[in-house]
Amino acid sequence: MISRPVQSKKRYLWAFLIGSLIFLIIFGLSYSLSFLEFQRVSNLQIETSFQIFEDKLDYSIFDQGVCSKESFEKISQDLRFQGRIIDDLEKKLGKQDKRVLLRKKFYTLIELEHFEFTNLLNEQCNLGKKTILFFYSNEKKDLDRSEQTGELLNVIYKRNENIIIYSFDINLESDLIEKLKIKHQIEESPTLIINEKTKVFNPKNIQDIEKHLN
Amino acid sequence: MGFIQIIIYISIYIGLVAISFYILSYLSDAKKKRKFFKDSELPFITVIIPAYNEEESIARTIESITKSDYPKNKYEVLVVDDGSTDKTLQIAKKYESKFLKVFHKKNGGKASALNYGIKRCKGEFIFSMDADTFVNQKSMKQMIKYFKDPDVMSVTPAMLIHKPKSILQRVQHVEYLLGLFLRKTFAALNAVYITPGAFSAYRKTFFDKYGGYDVGNITEDLEMSIRIQYLGYKIENCPEAAVYTIAPSKFKPLLIQRRRWYYGLIKNLWKYKKVFGRKYGDLGTFVLPISLISIFFAVFVIIYLFIKTIFNVRSELLFLNSVNYNFSSILNINFYFIERALFLFFTNPTVLFILFFMVILGFYIRFAAQKVGKSSGLIINLPLFFLLFAILFGFWWVVSVIYLIFSRSIKWK
Repeated sequence: MISRPVQSKKRYLWAFLIGSLIFLIIFGLSYSLSFLEFQRVSNLQIETSFQIFEDKLDYSIFDQGVCSKESFEKISQDLRFQGRIIDDLEKKLGKQDKRVLLRKKFYTLIELEHFEFTNLLNEQCNLGKKTILFFYSNEKKDLDRSEQTGELLNVIYKRNENIIIYSFDINLESDLIEKLKIKHQIEESPTLIINEKTKVFNPKNIQDIEKHLN
Repeated sequence: MGFIQIIIYISIYIGLVAISFYILSYLSDAKKKRKFFKDSELPFITVIIPAYNEEESIARTIESITKSDYPKNKYEVLVVDDGSTDKTLQIAKKYESKFLKVFHKKNGGKASALNYGIKRCKGEFIFSMDADTFVNQKSMKQMIKYFKDPDVMSVTPAMLIHKPKSILQRVQHVEYLLGLFLRKTFAALNAVYITPGAFSAYRKTFFDKYGGYDVGNITEDLEMSIRIQYLGYKIENCPEAAVYTIAPSKFKPLLIQRRRWYYGLIKNLWKYKKVFGRKYGDLGTFVLPISLISIFFAVFVIIYLFIKTIFNVRSELLFLNSVNYNFSSILNINFYFIERALFLFFTNPTVLFILFFMVILGFYIRFAAQKVGKSSGLIINLPLFFLLFAILFGFWWVVSVIYLIFSRSIKWK
């Protein structure tokens, strides 16, 4: 029989240190990538808001034509992309992360700016864009329903080229959101305001939404 | 962070510490100098091949062992036909010679066949060899040299899969290759607790002193290795000694094999539960507890994934129904979709950890290539392994645990 103590206690300590270090480095790397993405959305928000302002000022001060479809489509696409990034950042950094909340507030402002611009284009250029204001909530009791409605809206967006969807978190601490809620009498989520006329609460399928679009 | 995420991160953390420990142990062992038998000191050995209905492979097995570069006057081969009902005995008889003897006995299981051979052998060292296993010419000589150390009671080879063809064989091919590094590391820690039944070497005096194989034990090879550890001796590993076995190619035979192994592992660890603890050095303090913890996490995660998949499928079906099964609207893959998917993928810490583990596994494969030569088919086999092994491993363990809980009996053959 042979005695068998552990070969080296030091090795255990080293393994613990190396393992912990790798664990922290990988977490740090993941967090850094999310932070880079956060910076990217910040820059993109500034660019989009700048573009909307520029286009609107062009029209109001210099009476330039705003009916350039190309510019509008680009802004709309950027806006939608920003929404996706913020959605992902919520998943990565948390729905209550202060930086994400700040970006969401800014996003809300740009959305409203864009919404107003869309209405202007509809009037001036007969653009014929349909709008849906989507009031959702990240509160636990409403989260599943809100996410399901969000998925339905994704499908609606892909089926209808002429639709622009604006999403608003009803729990965001923002005066503008509060005013919007009062204006459209939003009390619960998920609620949709279609073409500023029809209110739909918790749609179950695409028909519940599409029947109000035509 | 949800409960399941915490569990996953704990398992990843333990995995990282374990990998670090194993690599450090391997590096430390590489500096050690071992004493080996010189060619002139090679002892007389016996190879015992128990066979039950192995007419398809027995000839090739015998041929592979007779081609060994071990001095012909220093080994004998005993084929023990364990009451086969096919042509195994007749085929084996064709090879009978001065140094290859064929015995026939009533069917009693592999352990009884091995014990039958041990009673009749002349060798100072014994190789147990399955009748569907093939060895490299140099393997026996390479393995026997480790017995120069009198505390070494067993030596294990580098187990590999013979010509993997089916998907499941390809998955096992990578699994076996990865096992080479761990087996060597466990040997460095004197913590090998599995001696492959397919081909392993033993010191005859161990059988004389502590008895032969445990007849009735469904994993008699495992029982033997844990018994060696329990009694405080060494099990070495020779990663250069390539030995090939035919792996199950279909799902059911593979499940039956794994169920037998895992069920046997739990039973035998319970039988020798004293090996857990500080008295048994790195084996009892780290290697065995970490192995059991890994199994626990694998079972936990597979059950969780199974339940989650059911719920996901249900909610996807409900969603598809709500959009009138309009697939073209759902599958709209564009630049933004791909960009977002990549972002979510590469910022997920679990994905980064998996990528890291893949790099480590690459290192294990490289180790295997250095020891037994490059393996063909890895370009196909590696992705299959990464896709399927974790699920299969968890599934095999879940089935084995269920069998254990309900105490269903499992037989060797």
